[in-house]
Amino acid sequence: MIKVLVVDDEAPARDRLVQLVEDIGDFAVVGTAGDGREALELVESSSPDIVLMDIRMPRMDGIEAAGHLSHLEQPPAVIFVTAFDDYALKAFETAAVGYILKPVRRARLEEGLARAARPTRAQLASINPEDRQRRHISARSGDHLHLIPVHDVRYFRAEQKYVSVRHGGGSHLIDESLKELEEEFAEEFVRIHRNALVAIRHIEAVEKGDGGQLQVRLRECEDTLPVSRRHTAGLRRKVQSA
Amino acid sequence: MTASTDRSTLDPRKKGLLLPDFCAPDSVITVVVITELVAIVVTLARSELMVAGSVWPDLATTSLFLLWIGLCSAAVLCRTREHLARLPVPRAAILALALLLLVTALISEAAWWLGQYWDQLRLRGGGDARRHLHFLGTNLLICLIVGTLALRYFYVAQQWRRNVQLEATTRVNALQARIRPHFLFNSMNTIAALTRQEPALAEEAVEDLADLFRASLRDSSAPLTLKEEMEVARIYQRIEQLRLGDRLRVVWRVKSLPLRAEIPALSLQPLLENAIYHGIEPRPDGGEIVIDGAEVSSGMIEITISNPLPAPGDQSRRQGNQIALSNITQRFELAYGGRARISYGPEGERYVVRLRFPRVEGA
Repeated sequence: MIKVLVVDDEAPARDRLVQLVEDIGDFAVVGTAGDGREALELVESSSPDIVLMDIRMPRMDGIEAAGHLSHLEQPPAVIFVTAFDDYALKAFETAAVGYILKPVRRARLEEGLARAARPTRAQLASINPEDRQRRHISARSGDHLHLIPVHDVRYFRAEQKYVSVRHGGGSHLIDESLKELEEEFAEEFVRIHRNALVAIRHIEAVEKGDGGQLQVRLRECEDTLPVSRRHTAGLRRKVQSA
Repeated sequence: MTASTDRSTLDPRKKGLLLPDFCAPDSVITVVVITELVAIVVTLARSELMVAGSVWPDLATTSLFLLWIGLCSAAVLCRTREHLARLPVPRAAILALALLLLVTALISEAAWWLGQYWDQLRLRGGGDARRHLHFLGTNLLICLIVGTLALRYFYVAQQWRRNVQLEATTRVNALQARIRPHFLFNSMNTIAALTRQEPALAEEAVEDLADLFRASLRDSSAPLTLKEEMEVARIYQRIEQLRLGDRLRVVWRVKSLPLRAEIPALSLQPLLENAIYHGIEPRPDGGEIVIDGAEVSSGMIEITISNPLPAPGDQSRRQGNQIALSNITQRFELAYGGRARISYGPEGERYVVRLRFPRVEGA
């Protein structure tokens, strides 16, 4: 039996998918989730082979959830289920990501399940329909995904091969580049050094340190971070406009 | 909706629509033509008192004098237009007239003293104070009459031009106001799900959907009664209720609304749709939408629709859809011409849309 997880925030839509999947045979629904976060938890506990994923959901939408899943060692295949308009459909087509349209047709679902594949991160990046930012950063430790809400992140710092995320609950390593993070979260974060990207909302003060070097002090975080001369002007601008 | 954090008012007057732009060439030409016509009338009225055949020099001086007044007035109105546009129409009109009078007074004074100084100027610069006052008073009175007529003309012309534009855009918008495809597909999916488990509900949903579409295909320029419009919104709510379950809670406080009063068609339903889209769907536990309606003061009806704001971390997740709001604003503007007021924005923890429009009852 192939294990399927159904994710949709609307109960009738979930029920319908469960019904259809069970009708098809060979497939068993191992769980249903109402949003992306719940889906990630269920993926860890029930390790499905395929996730049927709605896109528009509260807390965490389907595309972001799929993005986090792709960081897993053995990610499940994802099929998006959507009632989206033409624009998003075109993006799905070009990215060659599996999707099914609502109202869901049994034949189309069968076909989709048979061809289910794992979307790559590049594919997912290209279907981001509203040019959105993620709400969470995911860090993998072993087979466990640790989700860090973006607004809880104090700073990102590049360290040799990895980037570390300092957040309210500690620090984690992630496999992303500072440059991409800076582009994605341009409104909320500011680059203060070649190796550091800081959350504007957590900046408490920008001040001169002991050696005369400019540094950033953060709220509820004892670390101070040096500001490089090159990024001083950019930091001033962003802090003032915040 | 949630994207706009500042409180904005779609008051039509905000766009400076009371008067045309007096710096624009066509307005300046109109001002010159009006001034010249007045100059001719004034000269002709005086002509029998003068020596026959010599109206031309008099016309020339009168024109010179009046053109100063006309063009300076145009310049002043051009400069103050933005400020005037922010005031209510009657106050702006009085202020504009006052400005015209001021300009006339200043230029008359200047002409008087110039006439004193430069004797041959034919403005009868005589000397004694009574003639001076008479000169000033006559000019101000003429300015008051001509100014009122001219401003009225510009105002009406401007209104007419704007209504033509509005009507054109409204027609396009009426097409867009129709139900979102996204909603149709989601509803169809819900109905497909219900067909097996709860055929009776599915049946109702199909009927509701049909009614909703019939309503959206109606000529949206014709007004509905509040009763009919609320019925459309309630049908819509029933369909969404199936999809969202107890996440969607709608409270109607509309008992005191005059049910026979008119409202532009498809105005409540899109607002309810927006409230659900921005206020309910992004919240895992849903929320409460409150629709308040009452007759507030002499002949004005106020309806407010409010929904919870998304959690702080969730803001800007859903790009605002201002189409529905600007569309409704335009249609109210066309229907009530400046007497309706639509405002929206966050108030405390909720996002509130407020419609205020005159009570009109159809035949």
